[in-house]
Amino acid sequence: MRFRTALIAGALLAATPALAQQRIPVGHLMDNSGATSDVGVPYGQGVQDALAWVNATRGGVAGRQLAVSGFDYGYQAPRAVAQYQSWAQRERVVAIQGWGTADTEALVRFVTRDRIPYISASYSAALTDAGGKSGRQGVEAAPFNFFYGPSYSDALRAMLQWAAQDWRARGQQGRPRYVHMGANHPYPNSPKEAGEALARELGFEVLPAIQFALTPGDYTAQCLTLKNQGANYAYLGNTAGSNISVLRACQTVGVSVQFLGNVWGMDENAMKAAGQAANGVVFPVRTGAVWGQDAPGMSNVRQISRVSDQAGSAYRPVHYLSGICAAMLMVEAMETAAENNGQITGERIRDGFYARRNWVPRGFEGVCNPSNFTAEDHRGTMRVALYRAVVNGNTAQGGVDELVRAGTMRLEPITTIELDRRRDWLGW
Amino acid sequence: MDWALLSQLVLNGLIVGALYGVVGMSFVLIYKASQVVNFAQGEFLLVGAWVCWWLLTTWQLPFWAGFLVTLAFMTVFGMVLQVVVLRPLIGEPVISVIMATVGLSIFFQALMKWMFGVFAQPFPPVFTAERVHVLGLEVQSVYLLSLVISAFIMLGFWWFFTYSKHGLAMRATAFDQQVAQSLGVSVPRVFAMSWAISAVVSTVAGVVVGVVNGVSSGLSFYGIKVFPAVILGGLDSVVGAVLGGLIVGVLENLAQYVDAAWLNWGNMYQIAPFYALILILLVKPYGLFGTKAIERV
Amino acid sequence: MTATTPAGDFRTSYRADTTIFPTFGSRLMLWFGLALACCAPLVFGRYELGLLITIGFSAIAALGLNILVGFTGQISIGHAAFFGFGAFASALLAEHHVPVPLAIWGAGLMTALIGLVFGAPAARLKGLYLAIATLAAQFILEDFFARARWFSGGVAGRVTEPYELLGFRFDREETYFYVVLAHVVVMFVAAANLLRTRDGRALVAVRDHYLSAEIMGINLAYYRTLSFGIASFYAGVGGALYAHYLLFVSVEAFNILYSIQFLAMVIIGGLGSVMGSLMGAAFMVVLPEAVQALADLFAGGAIDRALRLGASISFLREMVIGAAIILFLIFEPDGLAHRWKMVKAYWKLYPYSH
Repeated sequence: MRFRTALIAGALLAATPALAQQRIPVGHLMDNSGATSDVGVPYGQGVQDALAWVNATRGGVAGRQLAVSGFDYGYQAPRAVAQYQSWAQRERVVAIQGWGTADTEALVRFVTRDRIPYISASYSAALTDAGGKSGRQGVEAAPFNFFYGPSYSDALRAMLQWAAQDWRARGQQGRPRYVHMGANHPYPNSPKEAGEALARELGFEVLPAIQFALTPGDYTAQCLTLKNQGANYAYLGNTAGSNISVLRACQTVGVSVQFLGNVWGMDENAMKAAGQAANGVVFPVRTGAVWGQDAPGMSNVRQISRVSDQAGSAYRPVHYLSGICAAMLMVEAMETAAENNGQITGERIRDGFYARRNWVPRGFEGVCNPSNFTAEDHRGTMRVALYRAVVNGNTAQGGVDELVRAGTMRLEPITTIELDRRRDWLGW
Repeated sequence: MDWALLSQLVLNGLIVGALYGVVGMSFVLIYKASQVVNFAQGEFLLVGAWVCWWLLTTWQLPFWAGFLVTLAFMTVFGMVLQVVVLRPLIGEPVISVIMATVGLSIFFQALMKWMFGVFAQPFPPVFTAERVHVLGLEVQSVYLLSLVISAFIMLGFWWFFTYSKHGLAMRATAFDQQVAQSLGVSVPRVFAMSWAISAVVSTVAGVVVGVVNGVSSGLSFYGIKVFPAVILGGLDSVVGAVLGGLIVGVLENLAQYVDAAWLNWGNMYQIAPFYALILILLVKPYGLFGTKAIERV
Repeated sequence: MTATTPAGDFRTSYRADTTIFPTFGSRLMLWFGLALACCAPLVFGRYELGLLITIGFSAIAALGLNILVGFTGQISIGHAAFFGFGAFASALLAEHHVPVPLAIWGAGLMTALIGLVFGAPAARLKGLYLAIATLAAQFILEDFFARARWFSGGVAGRVTEPYELLGFRFDREETYFYVVLAHVVVMFVAAANLLRTRDGRALVAVRDHYLSAEIMGINLAYYRTLSFGIASFYAGVGGALYAHYLLFVSVEAFNILYSIQFLAMVIIGGLGSVMGSLMGAAFMVVLPEAVQALADLFAGGAIDRALRLGASISFLREMVIGAAIILFLIFEPDGLAHRWKMVKAYWKLYPYSH
């Protein structure tokens, strides 16, 4: 008996060095060529570079390198599902960096069944109800879905709170008018109800929502309606491509309204494409700083940027930094799981997300906002930084980096809103 | 009744409808000449817009020069496409040819993204006065340019199809291919010419949309908008396509007015053309202006 | 269409003449093939089984479209909307405590009703007008899905129940494969049977020469509408199977691109061929995976470095898919079924295959 125990112990000891070299399989879904590629490329690049940097400078997680398997699924959900099956069967990934609504929704039941944490770039509030207890219709428990940053609904709530302050600060009288603009589609509709409810609470007059498609087109009619109804604040719920069309049409028609953007609807590339029509749009930023600003964590961010840009001259849009933070959250959750010689499994990584309070990945202070995850509440952060897009010249010539250097385009920080973690806001 | 808003919307509808009409014209041209439903029409707009943008920004050509070079390129492009892809499919069932155009659209979408990147790009400013005041509505100057150009195109088409030898050959081919062939018309050449002209006309629309909204891959969805326009106007005449385009443009804007004033559903702008389409087809199965096909047994 | 039968194979009854599998050999191949399919979960892993499941429910929907396009000669660019309707309907029924095995057929029936509603006006239209009317149906139904919260769950989508029969849950790829296989067999046999009944022959007559068919007394409007109904039934069942596989239905998935994919399956598989629907579905599902595997082979290799492809591999992948469709249509316009028939004929008639 004792001989057997010694034999087993000896075998394990011999195997340990082999285990230590064993790489940690991680999946990474991205969209570099499909419908959302204009925002997918910088975000995916951020995740990819951050994970490569962790391998290079930190030696991976607990001495084990990350084996990242990246897949561009072109925003076609069936391909994401097939790739997921391959990952679950062959590589046996322990965590997945996901992308948008299409893949996140298609895989939500699979990752729950297979117990694999899924860190998405879809910030739908329905994913935050990890315990399934919010009682909202159609919201099921998604205990393995996480995301870095405020949900779409919380970002809109923060902007509405700012709008209420802005209305008073401008000395305006009476009730401000708010209107939700977007396509009749899950992504733009995600925060619609939450936003309109809070707007009513804050004393806004909520106008009937205006719809415009997710594709570029002529939206003069919508802008004329906007002008006619005398809206003061308008939320643009679509992705950048069609938001640009609305901004330009409204500029042509002469609409003076404060536009509130969404996380995927306005960034430096959209500012270049829309030109001066984008001047003044207020939108939420998930990170504590943008490229070019100073923060303690920016030195590491610049190091990460050099993974794919040796020269160091590229401009990194807001999505790049958010991708870094999402990747680093996963890495640190893995480190928590590996503490005390623990196994790095999906469940332990999920528990790793709950281990820290006011969690900022080390080395990224000032860039990544503090996150708090609990078993029932996957709303990582209620802090929303609001920036204003400033464009004061022609943006047709030159790349984004040149325009920013020349000062034609810049992101102006306005304020940071810290929302209350209200129970009735969970899940919607 | 808010007459000011209504009149503005109708005016906008006519202006944008002219653009739909331009795309509709190019679609009907191909359909009439070669009975091919071109699902890649939107990609013609996209390719034209990207090529023009590239000429204007990388080569710094003035707008007129760049535009003309683009038109020349698209002529060749249309012809090459027809010869390489469509000619081997002559005689195959219509649905196979439709599928081939779908394959073309997938191919060109990916090619444009590969060559020009995934980000939307703005056009360099074309006119000194970007906006013009027309009858109470501020309109982008480029839309007026498109109105002028489409008027020219329609005039040109009218002259071409009525008086020129090639135009008459195209009409003959559209009417009856076999008879035209027996009279000495080179049907393959007519097909190639129709595709070339269609590509050129679509480029005008593509460049206009690019100037207004910036060039991005979403531009090709104008190819879907052309279908209601073409059906409403009837597939038989190029002029019918233009009328259909105008009707769709005005219809969209009127639907938005009705929606904003009374219904508050929010989506009438998008969906009204399709409801109208089905209703009209219930009553008139060949569209508003299409000639009813009399079938001989 | 009768299969090639060997010489000396005489029929003595009308019933024997209308059999689907004319020879002993073909019947043997059928059972052998089914047995092979049943063994698949023992050999394949989740990835391959997931692909097979996708092929399965896509093939059912493609078969419906083939009945509409290939056998009745109409055209529909709105098939994905009916597929989605079936998915949502099944989820809705399952939520109202209808057992999932019944919910799937219920969803098929509900979708068939919707198909009849859209098919009735379509009966008068021909050619491109019909195609555009179905395109309009696609957009109208998509809009309906996005608006009707009670039906589609609106923004949050709708979660469904896994397939449960006699207390046993079929929620893993290995077990759900059998569910899909059973449905594929039933639906395909039903379609093959349809075509040897009076109604099936009427549909083919409508396609081949509708004026003669009308003169012979076939009610064109009735059969055209019926064809839409049958196609929608198949789409509904396919959609329901999709819903109970992913366990989550969202309106994002059922767009015009998916409709075009179904059309591609039908055309590449072969218009007017029941087996062709399966082959076309397999082609369209496996093509992106095959191109991706090819791209993975090249990634990091010599060609990749020589042409500096890198991230552009994904664009090339799309371009290859588009080019593959076009080349296939140029070189084999009658589809995979025709090519399969040619291959079989070559071996049957060897060495006299010319």
